[in-house]
Amino acid sequence: MSSEIRPDDLLIERLAGSLRPVRRRRPWLEMAVLGALFGVELALLLGAGHMRIDMPHAMGMPSFWWKLAGLTAIIAISSTTALLSLDPTRSPRLGLRVIVLTVLAVLVAGWGVDAAQTAWLTGGETLWRRLAPQSGLRCTRTIVELAVPVAIALGVLMRRGASVDLAGSAWAAGISASGWGALAFAFACPFDDPLYLAVWYGVAFGIVTIGSRLLLPLILRW
Amino acid sequence: MAAAQAGDAQAYRRVLSEASAWLRRYFARRLPPGMIDDAVQDTLLAVHLKRHTYAPERPFGPWLAAIARYKWIDRLRHLRSAPTELLDDDVAVEGHEEQVTSAHALERLLAHLRPAQAEAIRLVKLQGFSIEEAAMRTGQSESLVKVNIHRGLARLGRMVREQADVE
Repeated sequence: MSSEIRPDDLLIERLAGSLRPVRRRRPWLEMAVLGALFGVELALLLGAGHMRIDMPHAMGMPSFWWKLAGLTAIIAISSTTALLSLDPTRSPRLGLRVIVLTVLAVLVAGWGVDAAQTAWLTGGETLWRRLAPQSGLRCTRTIVELAVPVAIALGVLMRRGASVDLAGSAWAAGISASGWGALAFAFACPFDDPLYLAVWYGVAFGIVTIGSRLLLPLILRW
Repeated sequence: MAAAQAGDAQAYRRVLSEASAWLRRYFARRLPPGMIDDAVQDTLLAVHLKRHTYAPERPFGPWLAAIARYKWIDRLRHLRSAPTELLDDDVAVEGHEEQVTSAHALERLLAHLRPAQAEAIRLVKLQGFSIEEAAMRTGQSESLVKVNIHRGLARLGRMVREQADVE
């Protein structure tokens, strides 16, 4: 038997000596934290009197339900992907592919809803009116503002996790954060036009997701 | 590891010792000998810091292997920016097996690069030549040697990550 001390024996001794019990990661609990944060944001938004005034009418419109169902699907998949990817044995890549397919499916469904309820108004002026750029920019800004706290919360959770694909986790986290922000805002936003939503919500998703992709890996490296 | 998560230092010492032996073999096949000690200790530290992410209902091996692979890729990435150290002509070498395996693995990866990139990496990063010397030996300009090293290492990194994804 060799009495040679390996270079890492001292380190092992030090790590074992400083060992403290740890609380294991529980992804469902982390999902509950995100849900609670969404609840707080929604309560604050509605409590401040921002709920859309035509809510009873909106609830009879297919486009309103398309908006809620689409955002919920995107949130469910992206949040699950982001949180599961914090386990080093799991890759977010499959989840990201599913997110892309889901977004495409939501857009196709939106096109169908649009075709059913809009009498195919065409022409540059009509398109411009449907896009309502001034309101659209306000919507985009509000969604980004609502997404930032969720993105920060995800950043904290991700820092505690151990993602081995920082870029993939950051993409998923960005989509998830913007999804939560957009869902909260959906109850305040008076616009249900699929074209409007695809453009302005899409811009907000893009800003938050690209921001997360650029910033999160800087704090996630371990 | 589950016992270690609950604070059992004895169990933790045992699992880290077994892990370090495995990590030593793992990195010996993938890194130059001079980087193995640092890589093993870096990974042990990561295991310690991220031990709460281990799920006891799942096997320990894949969890450790995933962390080791992450640290390995991190090392390769750092290799890109690390300054090159000149080696003495006479270097004492204890054993050859791990070095040969490591060199073989690197050669296999280098074979996938363009010849100019592989040659620049081989001369500067593996054999310790300066950029100027490598430029003279290959007939490339100095800036081209740097570009070839940068692009070659980036490509190696991508290949390793893709391989890791397939595994």
